[in-house]
Amino acid sequence: MKTICLKGGRIIDPSTEKDEKGDLYFYDDKIISPKDAKNTEVIDVTGKIIFPGLVDLRCHINDLSGGNGENIFSVTRAAAAGGYSTIVLMPNLNPIPDNPATIQFIKDQIKRDACINVKLTGCLTKGSNGKALAPLGSLKNAGVVAITDSPLSPQDNQIFCKAVEYASMFDLPVIDLPRDLSLSENGNAHDGPSALKMGLGGYPRIAEELFVQRAISISRSLNTRVHLSSISSFASVDLIKEAKNRDVMITADVSPQHLALTETKILNYDTNFKTTPPLREEVDRKYLIDGLMDGTIDCISTAHEPIKEYEKNIEYDLAPTGVTSLETAFNISLQQLSEHPKFTWVNLLKFMSLRPSEIINVEGGGLRVGSTANIVIFDPLKKWKYHSSKSKSRAFNTPFNNEEFHGKVSQIYLNGKAI
Amino acid sequence: MEIPKWKTKNLLGIESLSKFEIRKILTLAKKLKHESVKNKSYLAGKRIVNLFMEPSTRTRIAFELAAKTLHADVISIAEKSSSLTKGETLRDTALNIQALGADAIVLRHSSPGSPLLLSRIIDVPIINAGDGAHEHPSQALLDVYTLEEKIGPLDGKKITILGDILFSRVARSNFWALSKMGAKVTLAGPSTLVPKSFESMGAIVSHDLKESLADADAVMLLRIQHERQSSSHFPSLEEYTRIFGLNKYRSKWLKKDAVILHPGPINRGVEIDSELADSANSVILDQVTNGVAVRMAILCLCTLSYKK
Repeated sequence: MKTICLKGGRIIDPSTEKDEKGDLYFYDDKIISPKDAKNTEVIDVTGKIIFPGLVDLRCHINDLSGGNGENIFSVTRAAAAGGYSTIVLMPNLNPIPDNPATIQFIKDQIKRDACINVKLTGCLTKGSNGKALAPLGSLKNAGVVAITDSPLSPQDNQIFCKAVEYASMFDLPVIDLPRDLSLSENGNAHDGPSALKMGLGGYPRIAEELFVQRAISISRSLNTRVHLSSISSFASVDLIKEAKNRDVMITADVSPQHLALTETKILNYDTNFKTTPPLREEVDRKYLIDGLMDGTIDCISTAHEPIKEYEKNIEYDLAPTGVTSLETAFNISLQQLSEHPKFTWVNLLKFMSLRPSEIINVEGGGLRVGSTANIVIFDPLKKWKYHSSKSKSRAFNTPFNNEEFHGKVSQIYLNGKAI
Repeated sequence: MEIPKWKTKNLLGIESLSKFEIRKILTLAKKLKHESVKNKSYLAGKRIVNLFMEPSTRTRIAFELAAKTLHADVISIAEKSSSLTKGETLRDTALNIQALGADAIVLRHSSPGSPLLLSRIIDVPIINAGDGAHEHPSQALLDVYTLEEKIGPLDGKKITILGDILFSRVARSNFWALSKMGAKVTLAGPSTLVPKSFESMGAIVSHDLKESLADADAVMLLRIQHERQSSSHFPSLEEYTRIFGLNKYRSKWLKKDAVILHPGPINRGVEIDSELADSANSVILDQVTNGVAVRMAILCLCTLSYKK
């Protein structure tokens, strides 16, 4: 076996905050020191940017049963194309992972079909129906990295608080996509100017903010971790900022869609802009970007939700929410953040690789000697257009079809092997 | 009479129309209203399908009568008798209606934007007969027609729309139509049904009945749909009547010759006093009559601008 040397690239390592030109050596599945290199194959990566594989904390699929939806095979190819070495699957699967046997069943599929690391979450409540706790300890033993009912949120405060308390015993992170259903039951769109004209609405900011506050309060009172998924409201950012100032162990992520788009995009009733949660207004978008940059929001999660074409392309209010994102997430995030005065590549890779790994306690986000060789080569000069029809994903519900991008993931190594 | 050209072959809403286009429909409606019946064979041989996925009396009958007056063949489909009850999607139903050879589809549907969705899928002209809380263009056009007939040009007139604005497609379409014709439109009612955010559309919003009716040239009342908002948007019909119901005393706040409109169905004794609904100021039945003429104009413009 040869040592591989990626020579002359710009290496970004968020774990050491380094951004410098250099050569990166790896042998087998580990990054090694140049002085340990023998029998080296040199790959010239001059002009390219080298960084650790991306990690996604919110990814959905809709097919575990050999149908024609997004399955583990296709989602991991899409993720690899987007620069991801690890994705975390949300539990809205069929069968639903609220028991260890199902976790094992899905792990077998992962072993057979995945080309990158796939981590599992278990349900927070049985069947994700919000009524009774799922067997969190057994799920942990079966190998889940977090528990959540995403894209749902337990509506019963007692259940949620007890789940957080119970999960803390196993040091198992709880992820919540904050949404008070009593305020958003028919929530097809943000209650904003576009929805008002269109006769839609029903998903106001307050539906999110109340549950953000719930998570903060329980996290503070128990001094335990809760992670908030896909924050969309500007006031949520303020709530989280204040909580972090008091050292509450709350963490949060935002989707690239919410960094890039606002509710005016839905004016044509195009269901490919119907996201979970809904796109909001410019003030929210600005707050979310600033919130990332000042450390209030920890990371960026794709919120990749594949939906079959015939299910998505129907009446707006009847269509399911969710958009695909894995292949565009890095480019969209780069595009949206690079103009910000506090932008650095180290920061971007913290948001998309280091922080998500830390939140779920998996290895990632580093290119130090001894790190697993999950490495992305990014060509910053390559111009390309994203066509959903040529996507590795089996779903087409992207808001960014035909979008032109600058810079492309040109290679990804997982455990030292090119994918 | 020659029927003018219509640029899009569809009528999806009022928001996207220009004042010129609104005038074109109204002018044609007026001509058709006063033309003798035997000359009106403009749509002879055309097949109009009324696809009504929500209950409707006035609108459906008006479209049927309009089409029949124009010598078109009309088929009306109601939700309960269609394949949608067998799980067929709206999209597939419409594709089938197109394949069966329809020349226009009049669609009433509870989903906002559904006529736009169909217009992207099929070639046959789509006429929106009400889509959720989005638009009800033919209603707004017949209201403008009736208002002009009763109070003359709308430029500078104060017109108040009172009631459940939030869930009303009639309110939205009328707001666009009346403002495009130059009227000053006030949206009035309880704050939960008339949120301040309507100002983002350019409307004046008022929760004060007296202020909103003062010196108005016309008031349009909307039916209060207590069954739809359950009990969270306002306490009871009785309370609504007490605070926002239009009665004889309050109607004096309006201009002397102000007219009262209502798209129907009216709830006597709730949003409007029974006596007032039958008074000389009420033009509610004129609206219904004019509805046929306006829908004749819409059917002519859309159907005849479509070449298979």
